[in-house]
Amino acid sequence: MISAQVRRRLRRKTVSPLGRALQHGDILFKGALILASLSLLGLMVGVGVMLWLRSAPMRTSAGLAFITATVWNPVGEKFGAAPFIIGTLTTSLLALIIAFPLGLFIAIFLAELCPPGLRSIVGFLVELLAAIPSVVYGLWGIFVFIPSFVIPIGEALMKSLGDPQRFPYLPIFQGPFFGASKLAAGLILAVMILPTIAAISRDVLLAVPRSQREAALALGSTQWETIWQVVLPYGLSGILGAVILGLGRALGETMAVTMVIGNVAQLSASLLSPGYTMASVIANEWGESRTPLYNAALIEIGLLLFFMSLLLNILARSLVWSVARKTPEQRA
Amino acid sequence: MSEFNGGKELSVLPRAGKLRLKRSAIRERFRRVNNAFMLGLTGLTTVVGIVPLVWILLSVFAHGAEVISIRFLTDTFKPTSLGGGGILHALVGTGILIALASLFSVPLGVLAALYVARNPNTSLGLAVRFGTGVLSGLPSVVVGLFIYTLWVSGHGYSALAGGMALAILMLPVIVRTTEEMLRLVPKSLREASLALGAPEWKTALKVWLPAAMTGVITGLMLAVARVAGETAPLLFTALGSNNLSTALDKPIASLPLTLFKYAVDPSKLRNAQAWAIALIIVMLVLLLNVSARLIATWRSKMY
Amino acid sequence: MVTRKLVFISLLVVALVVMGCTPTTQIVKETVVVEKEKVVKETVVVQSTPQVKEVAKEVVVTATPKPTDAPNSVELNGSGATFPQPLYEDWAFAFNQRDPSVVINYAGGGSGQGIKDIKAGTVDFAGSDALLKDADYQEKPDLQMIPTVAGAVVLAYNIPGVTTTITLDAATIVDIFLGKIEKWNDPRLAALNPEVKFPDLPINVVHRSDGSGTTNIFTLYLSAVSEEWKKGPGAGTAVDWPVDKLGRGQGGKGNPGVAAAIQNTKGAIGYVELAYAKSNNILYAKLINAAGKTVEANIPSTMAAIKDAKFDDRLTAIIVNSKEPDAWPIAGFTYLIVNKDYKDCKKAEKLVSFIKWALTDPAASSRAAKLLYAPLPQEVLPRVVEVLDKITCNGKPVVSQ
Repeated sequence: MISAQVRRRLRRKTVSPLGRALQHGDILFKGALILASLSLLGLMVGVGVMLWLRSAPMRTSAGLAFITATVWNPVGEKFGAAPFIIGTLTTSLLALIIAFPLGLFIAIFLAELCPPGLRSIVGFLVELLAAIPSVVYGLWGIFVFIPSFVIPIGEALMKSLGDPQRFPYLPIFQGPFFGASKLAAGLILAVMILPTIAAISRDVLLAVPRSQREAALALGSTQWETIWQVVLPYGLSGILGAVILGLGRALGETMAVTMVIGNVAQLSASLLSPGYTMASVIANEWGESRTPLYNAALIEIGLLLFFMSLLLNILARSLVWSVARKTPEQRA
Repeated sequence: MSEFNGGKELSVLPRAGKLRLKRSAIRERFRRVNNAFMLGLTGLTTVVGIVPLVWILLSVFAHGAEVISIRFLTDTFKPTSLGGGGILHALVGTGILIALASLFSVPLGVLAALYVARNPNTSLGLAVRFGTGVLSGLPSVVVGLFIYTLWVSGHGYSALAGGMALAILMLPVIVRTTEEMLRLVPKSLREASLALGAPEWKTALKVWLPAAMTGVITGLMLAVARVAGETAPLLFTALGSNNLSTALDKPIASLPLTLFKYAVDPSKLRNAQAWAIALIIVMLVLLLNVSARLIATWRSKMY
Repeated sequence: MVTRKLVFISLLVVALVVMGCTPTTQIVKETVVVEKEKVVKETVVVQSTPQVKEVAKEVVVTATPKPTDAPNSVELNGSGATFPQPLYEDWAFAFNQRDPSVVINYAGGGSGQGIKDIKAGTVDFAGSDALLKDADYQEKPDLQMIPTVAGAVVLAYNIPGVTTTITLDAATIVDIFLGKIEKWNDPRLAALNPEVKFPDLPINVVHRSDGSGTTNIFTLYLSAVSEEWKKGPGAGTAVDWPVDKLGRGQGGKGNPGVAAAIQNTKGAIGYVELAYAKSNNILYAKLINAAGKTVEANIPSTMAAIKDAKFDDRLTAIIVNSKEPDAWPIAGFTYLIVNKDYKDCKKAEKLVSFIKWALTDPAASSRAAKLLYAPLPQEVLPRVVEVLDKITCNGKPVVSQ
């Protein structure tokens, strides 16, 4: 038997119109969440789509030849992206060659050797390097780094390895050197991507299971041998991912590179000569583009940059994730 | 973990001849020396890696401190023939741009993070996590170009466009940090709220999110630190200006744009001002990063 | 652990704040009254940086131009050539003093940018030293070029060990820019400058990386004095610089960018507008002109160059390599590009009155002369004023004072 009081309470349990609206608010809410997520994805896709559409005049007129053409003559309406692609790849690769061993060793230090108290501070300092904006790097580059570091090193390289008599088949250090060069850009980029490589590699190394290390040590390895022969190979795909992420970051750096590379759209074998990268030419020449074709050419360069960084990003992330997902029984 | 008794274990092996042991001893010594050397090298590399940071910070502080003054911060632009003026227009501009960018990115980012935290294993959730990673790797020039093609070519250079470009750059950081913080909140808290009859949206907005609030704020701080120094996207959107303006539909100045302009200027006065601007930006970024770190450490102590 | 970190970080913050708040600049003020304007000499000495020694030199301070909150304040936006930028900024300031309701913003960006912006309609006026082409007029027949002043393009250089002015002639300039003269201690340079000790350093040639009217003027000169240049790179707002292929070229953005590149690169030479070399204390060369005389870049030589300028019906004239005995060989006019018809009548009225003031008022001309720009020859002024009077607003002529 249900008492009158309970019956009254049960009756009140029916939902009032306001209550119903509040519950249906959930649909709105969930819809908003899905909308937000979709727009995030839409952004990613939208960037590619807009760049693709707006570069149409250039793409239809030159097609794939745009990528291989070496002449960039805006006034004569001849646009070729090769100098910029090669300049970007040169400076980024130079930066990688310098930053990869350094970053790897810093990661090893942080992951394996650093006393736990010092670890967060040193790690924080290394990450601070990544937090400094590109323009500040460029400013420092022009007035401090180039005069006191790049010029002495460049001149030393030019006089030793760049001597045309002694090394006639080594053009990369030859030629007149004036400070603003691909070498300067590569060195500054190395400093900028060092923290990326170091931080991600450190995370990868920390994700390697202890059992691996303990097994190696139990077999009598020194600590270095453990690291070099066991831990690193285990995390190799992740470290590769870190390197690729660093490369991706180097590709897109604009301001620091623009301020130290000399901005000359000329293919040259020497690292000591000025160059031009994809990001710099877009930033530098954007205000100058008088014709729709010029605009489209610059946008197409942006499109190429977008594709390159997209590919590298996807590749890197899958590599980095693969280390974390591996069980101790699997090997690289 | 790194207990290693340096080759002594070989002494318990049966000797097969003096010659064979000698070779092992040499190899042992090499391994020991190599170990010490390489480990030392990693320490040295870390020190070498910190050197550029210290160098940049010292340069920025040394050169910037010379021009910085109250007048520099409160005066607006004047041509060099009139003394150079100050950077008030850039400070105000940066403030407005960051405010706009936060306005655009925080709601969108928090909502997306809420979705991913609630449904981490749906295809959309995975796609969003993947997408934020990709977005964070986009070169900032490309983002600026995108906003140009989307908005500026129709509506002109404006602070609004600059805010949009910066918002895209802030989004991945906000989504990632917020999502991580949301996941840290114990599920029991949400379940308790739902059990009490609160609808999903109320649970999310009044229970779940506030519990993760410090994390969200940390994320916002890190995102602001990221975009405070971004120049390239603003070249195509906010354009920069010499006037003190708060209008949202006109070009607007900003600290990094002004830094760039002054750094490549031949006038020594402008170069000195560029260092001062760099000092301000670096201090802002440092402060934000350090505070975010401190808040994170304090919170982890709390739980 | 946490306290140690907190102490370290707070010490760092305190140190930063302290460093940030101690200015080490001394400001010496001298007040000199000149005519009706008060000229305040302000010397800002910045210590302890090897880079910065003496900063500002002369400061003319009367009042700070503020965008007025007056309800009828008009804002005129322009962009374009950096060639006359120092002058336009100065004129904008002076005009605002006379008429505080008008604020004129000139953004620079190069002649290419200016032409693009006025064609797109995103600015009210543009500055350009490059002439509009037929195609531009076909695209937008509403455009009108108005000459304002003439200026000199000089060859500024940064040669370690050389602190005096060197002399160059047409042949050596052409060969430097063609890449044929490779080092500073080339005998041809020594022949022109017997007392100068040139170092054994490669020549770095700085040119513009953007579309530039200054480049246009300079390359017109090079084409006029050299058939090889005319057939090769030719004249224009952007050309293929032979030195780039040799690895000895460098690009700068705008006149300021070229000046900065010259300052920052040892052994550099480049072409800039005179005002930029002068105000940044960069040495620039004397030239041997078409008449065989060694001339320096200044107002008299610029005025000699514009002496027999012939303006065509588009009000443009080319004055490089003038045969006048005292003429500066690399001189050019700079122009404002305006619309023939405006939609905003207030803006049109103020714009016309500004340009008229700039071209006819003696105060404006004296300001120009102080910055080393030569005013227009008297013969062409009536034609220019006539064109200005023809500017309309929605079809109705603009009534100016």
